Amino acid sequence: MSRPRRLSSIQQSQKLPRPGTSGWSRREVLGLFGGVGATAFVAGCGGFGGSGDDAVEGQITFTTWGTDAELEGFERTIAGWSDANPGASVRLNAVPFAQMFENIDAQLQSNTAPDIFRVDYDNLGTYAGRGQLLDMSSFFDDAFGERFSEAMWQAVKFDGNPYGVPHHTDTSLILYNTRMMTEAGITDIPTTLDTAWSWDEFEDVAATLRGQLPDDQYPFAYNWQASGVTRWLSWLFQSDGRFLAEDLVTPAIDSDAGRAAVDFTKSFFDKQFVPPNSSTKATTFANEFWYAETTAMTFAGAFLLPDANEVLDWEWGATYSPQNVRGGGDLGGNALVATANTEQGELAASFLRYATEQEPMRDFCAASSLLPTRRDLIESGIDLQARPELGRFFLEQATTVQPSDAEQIASASMAEINLVLSDELEQAFVGGQSTDDTLANIAAGIAEATER
Amino acid sequence: MTMSRRGSWYKTRVTIAVASCAVMLFPLYWMVAVSFTSSREVRSRSLRLWPSDPTLDNFQRVFDRFPVWTWFGNSVAIAVVVTLITVSFNLMAGYAFAHLRFRGSGVFFIVLLSTMMLPVQVIMVPQFELVTRLGIYGTYWGVILPTAASAFGIFLARQFIIGIPRELIEAARIDGAGHLRVFVSIVLPMCKPLIAVLTLLTVLSTWNDFAWPLIALKENDLFTLPIGLLYLQGEFGADYGGIMAFALISVLPMVVLFLAFQRYFVQGFSRSGIR
Amino acid sequence: MTDTAVAPPHGGAAATEVADAPRASNGKRPRERSRRSLNETIAAYSFFGPNLVVIGMFLLVPVVWAIVISLQTTDGFGSGEFVGAENYQTLVNDADFWRATFNTVLFTAIIVPVSLAIGLGLAVLLNSVLPARPVLRTIIIVPMVISGVATGLMGEMVFDQNTGIVNRFLEAVGVGAVSWQSEGGPAFATVVLVTLWWRIGFNMVIYLAGLQSIGPHLYEAARIDGAGAWAQFRNITVPMLGPSTFFLLIMNVIYSLKVFDIVYVLTGGGPGNSTSVLVTYAYETGFVVRNQGYAAAIGIVLLVLTLLFTAAQWKLSRTRDLVE
Repeated sequence: MSRPRRLSSIQQSQKLPRPGTSGWSRREVLGLFGGVGATAFVAGCGGFGGSGDDAVEGQITFTTWGTDAELEGFERTIAGWSDANPGASVRLNAVPFAQMFENIDAQLQSNTAPDIFRVDYDNLGTYAGRGQLLDMSSFFDDAFGERFSEAMWQAVKFDGNPYGVPHHTDTSLILYNTRMMTEAGITDIPTTLDTAWSWDEFEDVAATLRGQLPDDQYPFAYNWQASGVTRWLSWLFQSDGRFLAEDLVTPAIDSDAGRAAVDFTKSFFDKQFVPPNSSTKATTFANEFWYAETTAMTFAGAFLLPDANEVLDWEWGATYSPQNVRGGGDLGGNALVATANTEQGELAASFLRYATEQEPMRDFCAASSLLPTRRDLIESGIDLQARPELGRFFLEQATTVQPSDAEQIASASMAEINLVLSDELEQAFVGGQSTDDTLANIAAGIAEATER
Repeated sequence: MTMSRRGSWYKTRVTIAVASCAVMLFPLYWMVAVSFTSSREVRSRSLRLWPSDPTLDNFQRVFDRFPVWTWFGNSVAIAVVVTLITVSFNLMAGYAFAHLRFRGSGVFFIVLLSTMMLPVQVIMVPQFELVTRLGIYGTYWGVILPTAASAFGIFLARQFIIGIPRELIEAARIDGAGHLRVFVSIVLPMCKPLIAVLTLLTVLSTWNDFAWPLIALKENDLFTLPIGLLYLQGEFGADYGGIMAFALISVLPMVVLFLAFQRYFVQGFSRSGIR
Repeated sequence: MTDTAVAPPHGGAAATEVADAPRASNGKRPRERSRRSLNETIAAYSFFGPNLVVIGMFLLVPVVWAIVISLQTTDGFGSGEFVGAENYQTLVNDADFWRATFNTVLFTAIIVPVSLAIGLGLAVLLNSVLPARPVLRTIIIVPMVISGVATGLMGEMVFDQNTGIVNRFLEAVGVGAVSWQSEGGPAFATVVLVTLWWRIGFNMVIYLAGLQSIGPHLYEAARIDGAGAWAQFRNITVPMLGPSTFFLLIMNVIYSLKVFDIVYVLTGGGPGNSTSVLVTYAYETGFVVRNQGYAAAIGIVLLVLTLLFTAAQWKLSRTRDLVE
């Protein structure tokens, strides 16, 4: 059967205009400049990525979703890697986020899967557990893993073996509307991680706002809608709780910490701290309430900064998530993985290694407003492209994610556990379900999920 | 109830007619208006019926970010190939049913009739398997072949060809012409309106086809316009300016086609209904 | 050949025509006749062949295959194992399935009569004397050439509960905004309204054709007998449109069972399950959750439903031929 005409790999990696377009689009020009710039930068830094790798040849396919900035960032990384490895190229396939994993699944089933793809840490465990990812232990040893923070390296491991590289991360913290906070008399907002609000202090802040705001406005909204339900676990982690025991099979959520987390988050709805239609199954995202000034605060990840910066015409700031026994946060961001049946394992490994070198990662993260996973970059900090002064808040908040937290997130049953959380929390928040029942149901759901 | 004069309630009838048209037309008008409206204004809550500051920004953004022309080309390519296959196959099959008698024609006819009612969801799983095993999953052909499997045109063709006087065909056969010759020299030239209707309807339904391409196309390079539109929905969210700009681009060719060949479309719709 | 007058087609008439196909009278001798008919059969299959192959391979085989798959359970990655009727048993107990079925039936029950009524009303209207009739007619038909996806997106934009023009208008006139996306009832209403907008043109076209084939002498006779406009409508128009109505009934019901694009894009089946219909449920089950044996079972249920309607149409069409 005839195959559709595709651009040759050389054309792809050099981003020549596609047939039919007249001249260069802005994106292609940026990409080219980026590619040239990245190469110059890397050369100037005295080292090509891959520290001593032999140059590799061939083409790999890479499927991902992404914002404009993220896709351009990937293209620059690709250009840098291709330049360091003449004869090697990457075919980038950008797809809508909503269909991303449907696509991957369909391609895996029909044996047309890409060589590498981008995946969030929740789903990584699921794919690894189903044997769909390439075990990278022959390419990446623990010495390689040292470049990442402990939690992040743990996040890409399944059964003790690495199945990809942590490319970037993200975590949520509080963004606030300065005017609304000031009008409520809240001026003492934490600026260092150790002075972050405790749960009690946070509750006081919310109560103050509630007393002062009109009925159709709310103190805050939390970003646990749709696939963000996994962020509810931050409250559990803040109470130093676990949802999976150390064997990563037995549910461990029915505990004091679990009770504390459910009680506290339920109270948000009971006390009208959050809009009633902002529960886990709502169709409006938390930040949309905040944009419309329906809430004074929202919880959001670093990826939101550029958009907020562009859209909002009022003053806003950031502060840390609350802490209880300890600080805790969500493990956002994504890893890059290779599919189990790829014929280009070595090439893929080379690319993944390069993408997590210092300069490519810094370049990608700064431009996309995401957080790095390398120890050195976390130490030194990076300049996010929008509101750079807020970058350090996010980096510090990200340090509250413990390796033990990451390990649980990397469970093979995470996708199903998320569904259980979504259902049960919805019942608890707006369905009047009791805390005890909620915990029992979640535990039962987790047990069922890990059994499969 | 045809009235030769204005008749009763003329004013009322005109009002209702105009109001109905306004309702039908408004969403399309709004699509055009929003595609020229700036992002900020789209998000505002004012009740303006036209953009206060028309801009081409949305189109610019859409073309910058997405390979619009590639997707457009894919839609065209697939529509053309499907139409070529469908129209030619259906004409031949229609002739067979109209003028040739053969065993099993009755049974086939009923079977074909039932396939027209089949939603793709009934067969999407096995079609997926089939297309995978044929090795055409994720390619143009993986979309073209299942889409070209359509019995709808056979009925249209048969209905039309039956109207061709049998004597003409008999005469040619007596003169020694083979069936193929008869088909090509006598039947086809008389089928021009039919070919027009079939072509237009097939182009329309393929251009707008969504469910199967959604399942069968996974690579950005090969997306058709409806899939691209879905992509934009995910990327732009509530920023309707960009979405409507792209929607306008995807919808315009069909509207133009319709306005130019309205007579044929109406004929086609009214003869057997559209999928 | 000039265009023949457009006549309202009968749903099952096509099939009956086969039985009544004109038989060429040929006074040929028996042997020549049978040779000729063999010839004809070969020719017929060569003409029909290509289409048969494509339809056979991509429509008929998959239908049978779907039945087979529905008796299996798969995880979407390996091949399936036979579990007999287990999928169907699960179906019976599946609340989501019943919700989807309920929604599909409710949707059909609302859309079909309403769209037929409005279509008829518009046809009657456009059959009367009006200025610029062709233009009006074109405007009402145009929505049909818009893709389902674009239509759904226009609907999403117009009914957006935060920024949509409908809510802005409702607030301006004091009725207050409606939660079109976050509440089940309103969400369902948006699907109905958008589908109506999309489908009315088709109904109107069929009815117009039907109206134009009703002989004016019938109305003359009625007028002479003193019947008013409403009586004429009830006793002449409606019955004479019987075949058209019947055809539209079938077409609209079949279509309503198949509706996918608009629902997928406009609401995605949500909020919760309130706009989930059989086809979106089947799609999600098969290609998102990847429980493909189960999805095939849902598809078979859909198939049975459509076959039931085809059978009903087949039977009833014989009693539906109306002669003047």
